[in-house]
Amino acid sequence: MTRQISRRKALAGVGTAALSAGCIGRVRNIAGRGRPEQLSLEINTTPADSDPNGIRIARQLAENAKAVGIGMQINTMSLRDLRRRVLLNHNFDIYVGQFQEVEPFDPDALYSLTHSRFGAETGWQNPFGFTDFGVDELLSEQRVAEGDRRLSAVAELQEALIERQPFTVVAFPDALTAIRDERFDGWGEQQPLSIEGLLGLERRAASDRTADDPDTNDADTDEDGDESDITTLELVTTDQRVTENWNPIAPEYRRYGTFTSLLYDQLVRMDGDEPIPWLAAGWERIGPETFEVTLRDAQWHDGEAVRADDVVFTYEFLHDTSMGNVDSPVPAPRFRGRTSLVRSVTTVDDKTIRFELEDVSRRVGLRALQVPILPAHIWRDRTSVATIAGFEFDSETTEAVVSNNENPVGSGPMRLVEVTAEESVVFERNTEHFLVRAGQEDETETETEMGEETANATASGGGEPTNATVSNDGATDTTAGDGTTDDETTGDGDSGGDTTGSGSADDIPERFRGKPAFDRLRVEVSPSDIAAVQAVGDGLADATISNLGPDSVPRLGREADARLVSTRSAAFYHIGYNTRRAPLSNPRFRGVLASLVDKPLLVDDAFEGYAQPAASPLAASPEWVPEGLQWGEDGTDPVHPFLGEDGVVDVEAARDELREAGYRFGENGRLLSRDQ
Amino acid sequence: MNPLVSVVGRLALWVGSMLLVAGVTVIGPRRLYGLWDGLVPRLWRIRYSLVALGIVLLASAVGRGSLQTVSELFGLQMTGFIYALEGDFVAWVQATFVVPELTIYFSWVYVYGYVFLVSFPFLAYLALPRTEMLNRLVIAYALNYAIGLVLYTIVFAHGPRNLMPDMVTSLLFTHNPDFMALTSEVNEAANVFPSLHTSLSVTVLTFAALTRREYPLWTPIAAWISTSVVIATMYLGIHWLTDVIGGIVLALGSVALAYRIVDPDGDAPGSSGPDGTNATSGLGGE
Repeated sequence: MTRQISRRKALAGVGTAALSAGCIGRVRNIAGRGRPEQLSLEINTTPADSDPNGIRIARQLAENAKAVGIGMQINTMSLRDLRRRVLLNHNFDIYVGQFQEVEPFDPDALYSLTHSRFGAETGWQNPFGFTDFGVDELLSEQRVAEGDRRLSAVAELQEALIERQPFTVVAFPDALTAIRDERFDGWGEQQPLSIEGLLGLERRAASDRTADDPDTNDADTDEDGDESDITTLELVTTDQRVTENWNPIAPEYRRYGTFTSLLYDQLVRMDGDEPIPWLAAGWERIGPETFEVTLRDAQWHDGEAVRADDVVFTYEFLHDTSMGNVDSPVPAPRFRGRTSLVRSVTTVDDKTIRFELEDVSRRVGLRALQVPILPAHIWRDRTSVATIAGFEFDSETTEAVVSNNENPVGSGPMRLVEVTAEESVVFERNTEHFLVRAGQEDETETETEMGEETANATASGGGEPTNATVSNDGATDTTAGDGTTDDETTGDGDSGGDTTGSGSADDIPERFRGKPAFDRLRVEVSPSDIAAVQAVGDGLADATISNLGPDSVPRLGREADARLVSTRSAAFYHIGYNTRRAPLSNPRFRGVLASLVDKPLLVDDAFEGYAQPAASPLAASPEWVPEGLQWGEDGTDPVHPFLGEDGVVDVEAARDELREAGYRFGENGRLLSRDQ
Repeated sequence: MNPLVSVVGRLALWVGSMLLVAGVTVIGPRRLYGLWDGLVPRLWRIRYSLVALGIVLLASAVGRGSLQTVSELFGLQMTGFIYALEGDFVAWVQATFVVPELTIYFSWVYVYGYVFLVSFPFLAYLALPRTEMLNRLVIAYALNYAIGLVLYTIVFAHGPRNLMPDMVTSLLFTHNPDFMALTSEVNEAANVFPSLHTSLSVTVLTFAALTRREYPLWTPIAAWISTSVVIATMYLGIHWLTDVIGGIVLALGSVALAYRIVDPDGDAPGSSGPDGTNATSGLGGE
């Protein structure tokens, strides 16, 4: 981005003059000093087709910065390429994008996002290269502190981050989804983009559906040559990455990880503040930092049983995807914040795992159990250094990180069955999954409630009830009676009520039992948000799952059977700065950039009101945000208010701030920089 | 898939009827009749060029995806550069000229008019007893596609509608989302430089000007439609002015190259043949 020609010419001219004059020393003193150059930064973001909002933020920033005299150029690229640049190669100046969590998240998510210890790692680990002692300390403190002490640590942390602006939070979007509810119910109660949202869907009763069924269901029956009515949930997205890659640790392919979390189970999922034992049947605190987790009876999609070894492998693997094959560990580019909570993991027996956690609060400790569990027998073969045609490109990259993970073998509620690259992908319900079993138990239970009572009594709840955790309704009943499920996978008789089939149904919230409510899940790639909405309107799909822009919203009004569902997303839009590069390394400079963003205007214009402007990355969970950092009543940013009025930048005020921060402007009013 | 099928159906219907009408009025029934007689030998004479075009089209269809990946990884990211070069020209076009009637017209021209424009000359020159013009046309098409594909790979850029949705509306797709089903089948959003719509239209126009003595009626029609297509690419917010200029240069270059490959005396594949119905139809001179 430099303009070298003039400089080279100048040097040549000075050189000849100087040689003839013979005053080399003076020339060295003058020409040896680098000349400041006009600053020019590049903003990377995705094109309007793949995300209609991000580009609008980039445009506003670029235009306003240009007015002030900071050269900015926008380059559009696919989301995959954007992620590769930003998260893997750290080769960017500024980017505009969304955070990776769609559900409100625990403040500890900021740990991996901003802690300086991750600055050299790839993935969603401090892509900004941000380093600040104070922030590091607060990040560690909020891990340990409980109650009010944690609240104030988190508040201080937000203050520090907002002040220093490693990234500028712009707005929390409403996740807009076009849906038709003739076949499924329950849209909009949860994020439709999340696994909870998809699993929470209910099938409409047959009587409701008969009218419009012939269309959709006949097609299914034809395809499968099956008489029974196969219910397919049809989704449309503009994001074709789900047809290319199913690797849960590949950050350039994962948006929220919804589909990989349908394929891979975690030990625990959070239901608001309540943990749901997921692949874990339950857990027990046996020491101050020691947990024992018991696995449910589960199978990998290829028929192998899920064992404690797989869990131990997963944690070691996420810590070092080379499993010791390379001198220094190659950590997985995702879930690092969570795995950094774990000190060691060991097997107790085939179904029990002992976790030694770092000294952290219980709530933060639960995050350690929220990573996808991977089958050791598949991923162990992917621990070597990645090669292209036999050549190693980079000893820091393992096969596991770059694998597309075709034919993914997980233990989750759906399995992958059919892929047409760049067009569609089909998942099928995993009938062996514990959610399905929980549904069956439900049915049997209602018939034999008496039997359950007795089973409850006989099951020996397992250890101290104090921390035996789980169950939603506060009771520690870890049973539903081994008798009712009659699991063929044996061997749990000896370990008592703490294992497997026991505890399952009651620990799982009602709305997930017997789910998913569809036999198949088809995701079709659509060329744009408008075409996606059209597909829902035409009855070709049940819902859209990628971002919708304002142009597509009015279209929905014209389609009789489709409607719009909106839920607040936690995946905030933000402007990320590469703080490794001057002048973005200067927090004052970043602060001025932040105040060039007119957030309310963006929300009105670009998002058409379907967003909430914010200053704090935690604004989706307002209980964490101190009063001083909440979005102002008067519609202004509490810390970096927009420098201007009615969308027009106050150029002089912005320049004054920059001058005060030590920057200078050239004669044509453009910011000069020596360090670029 | 449904919208795609209906779009392709409508496309076939429109283009088919336009070809029929234009065939009768521009080419004339007598030549059309002769076309049927000479069809096989004429196609046989230009077989090499046809094969070349086939290979290019096949390569484009099969390799587009992987070339796109190469472009993404190693290509020049030019969106910002192009915007810096021409600024808000396309936004200005939209701000100045957009009215609903024109939007309907340009959408129609961009899809149906363009397909007709590109397919008609093939029919028209096939109806000529001498095949050199047909040969040049096929070679020029192949060159357009081949060079276009190389440039697409080198230059990675998105169009104005993708960079500045605040100022440039994606008119075609907003009003006809099913067109998008079609264009996304044959194109990538990151292939904007050069505009192949422009280059093929200008190629047809150039040939139409060169054959005005054969088909005097065709020249003004081609001029009208191809100019409309070129304007449509920008009016609809799909292409930059830079892409259009690139397309024009590509078109003129391809035609010139086609003329060098098939020289006027025509001893290239497909010279003298059965001088059928119309002895005067040699295109001599151009």
